[in-house]
Amino acid sequence: MKIKSKKQKKSYSCVEEKKYYWLRYIIPALLFYVVFMAYPLLDSLRLSLYTGNTINSRTFVGLKNFIVLFTDPQKSTRYWSAFGNTWIFFLINMVMQNCLGILFAVILTNRTMKGRQFYQTIIFIPTTFAVLVTGYLWKLLLNPIWSGPTLEKIGLGFLAQPYLGQSSTALISCTLVSCWQWMGIPTMMFVAALRNVPEDCIEAAEIEGANSRQLFARVKLPLIKPTVGMVSILTFVNNFNAFDIIFAMENANGAPEYSTDLIGTLFYRVGIAGQHPIGIPDTGLGAAIATITFFVLALGVVPTLKATQGGDN
Amino acid sequence: MKKGRICFVLILSLVLLFPIIAGGTEENVNDEKVVLTLESWRADDVAQWNNLLAEYTNEVAPNVEIQFKPTNPPDYNATLRLKLDSGTAGDLLYARSYATGQELFNAGYFYDCSDIPGIQDAFIESSKAPWQMADGKMFAVPFAAVSHVVYYNKDIFAKEGLDIPTTWEDFLSVCSKLKADGITPLANGTSDEWDIFECFFCGILPNFIGGADSRVQYENGTKKLNDENFVAAYQAMADIAQYCPNGFSAVTYNDSQALFATGKAAMFMDGSWTLGVYGDEGLNWGVFAMPAPKGKNTAICFHPDTAITMNPATEHPEEAKAFLAWLCTKEGATVASNNMAVGFFPMLNEEITLSNDHANECLALNAGKETDARFVWPALMDLYSPMDQAVIKVMKGQQTAKQAADSIQALLKAEN
Repeated sequence: MKIKSKKQKKSYSCVEEKKYYWLRYIIPALLFYVVFMAYPLLDSLRLSLYTGNTINSRTFVGLKNFIVLFTDPQKSTRYWSAFGNTWIFFLINMVMQNCLGILFAVILTNRTMKGRQFYQTIIFIPTTFAVLVTGYLWKLLLNPIWSGPTLEKIGLGFLAQPYLGQSSTALISCTLVSCWQWMGIPTMMFVAALRNVPEDCIEAAEIEGANSRQLFARVKLPLIKPTVGMVSILTFVNNFNAFDIIFAMENANGAPEYSTDLIGTLFYRVGIAGQHPIGIPDTGLGAAIATITFFVLALGVVPTLKATQGGDN
Repeated sequence: MKKGRICFVLILSLVLLFPIIAGGTEENVNDEKVVLTLESWRADDVAQWNNLLAEYTNEVAPNVEIQFKPTNPPDYNATLRLKLDSGTAGDLLYARSYATGQELFNAGYFYDCSDIPGIQDAFIESSKAPWQMADGKMFAVPFAAVSHVVYYNKDIFAKEGLDIPTTWEDFLSVCSKLKADGITPLANGTSDEWDIFECFFCGILPNFIGGADSRVQYENGTKKLNDENFVAAYQAMADIAQYCPNGFSAVTYNDSQALFATGKAAMFMDGSWTLGVYGDEGLNWGVFAMPAPKGKNTAICFHPDTAITMNPATEHPEEAKAFLAWLCTKEGATVASNNMAVGFFPMLNEEITLSNDHANECLALNAGKETDARFVWPALMDLYSPMDQAVIKVMKGQQTAKQAADSIQALLKAEN
């Protein structure tokens, strides 16, 4: 590194005089980030301390929104149930998506694998569909009214259950549909990472007599650790903010009996749409839910980043 | 090279200028007519409203053009609120009844319509009440009401030799006969949650607990929400669960409609707003009143649904008010109801004949019966979700009728 920077200094001597020459290169991105990301984020944190819907009627209430959220029996029940469901949703996604993603990636990068392009496409195709489309299709497939007759014809009539109507199966069904749809992303990322594992490392390990399991656990996995971390963070952030799949397959209430109610749907109901049929949102309370989610995400992301990214770079 | 560049700049500036020139001429045309927009949740009624509004422009107010701008029904309240907050809402607005509307009036977003000519005499008190503040101010002009009835497949009834049930007990025996013959008696499901409560439970409720007078007693605490009448109503939901489609917990409102329309289910408890959906080709259907248990009078859930008001921030208040006043005249209401979607009934205190047979059949069911709004709307809107959940739990057998009624009464106590 040091040698390199010395070289740079020599060749760009005019730049060297200005200490913060790099700043101007990041100004466009920084401006964009501040205006469209940082400011709205901070403003929504600020909103959580206010009540009232209109800009004119907004009044400062301190931490009252948070206190109401956790002490009002109805609201806190809804919050904790959504919080728990979100963790279940995230954990199932994390385990299913990423374990299967690595498995598929290892199979797809195997040198003896035939028809790799074909399988790769199959795995990736659901990712390109709109969530509303896949959600609706699965909603029909999982509905005994529509799938029942077909299933009975092939002797699988017992499978025709109202999966999306029973509170015991609804959340798992939605989660698995989400896994099915987004499986392609981690798979592709792992495939790309595994292809970048230097050939000489693998050869060296093979010469040392490592079997394929050791090769994966001791050589490939440590080398793709940053990707594993990145994918985990993406899974965490995306699924902790999940909303669309539930909205498409159930409704914004997290039917049945709030069993599929996630933080995302709760936030939508409280802060954006309002509870049917009145439909008047409470933006302050909504912002309070968003703020807590923001801190939960930060608490999850920062340690994962530290553990997997830094390293020898 | 240079020439080319000049050419390019010239063309570019022409292209850039074009919209400005074109826009200018367009604006000149607009100046002649006052254009108002009407916000609505009836996304299905674009054609009907365009006819109605064209008629208004052609025959009543040639200088006014009203454009119909509907929003997806479930999003209407939130979208309207957002638009009102940011000052981009239309000039005329659909107004929800009771608390939802009152809240927007209190926030200063609905015009005080009390002085619209004709509004005070054109409607009877019970039609005005849903859009009235406690002090008697009207925040919208009543426009349409919906009814709740049982849709039934006449062919299936004829084939099975069934008569229209007049009591709840008859209704249950009709259901059990249909089920014994392998026909799904009821199309209703619970997946979407709102329909089982609004169409079904609120529809049968007046039969069990009585009409408006009785509702007021529940609201002021004279009667308890877990008295025997209420328990009987929940029990009715428990009783009919077995007659809903297999796996009814995953059946959505659209599924229910499809089941009824394809003749896979014999009956469907629904609102009158779908009277225009099924048509008469391929399906021979009719409607009857949701029956009351033996010894009680059949009452109808006739819900005040739609009113229209003015946005106080409009730039053309005179034109907007003139339109509202026109809706209060018999002439206006007749034009409106002739163009209105089937199943929305005019609320004007005048005899207005409808052009659709099914609509007349449905409205005729009201004759001589007590009618009332959906139970929770007038004063107990906070109980909407808990009652909805209680009904679903009772249907799924997770709660007894008594437990459901007790849990709702307990909530009411906790609030007071």
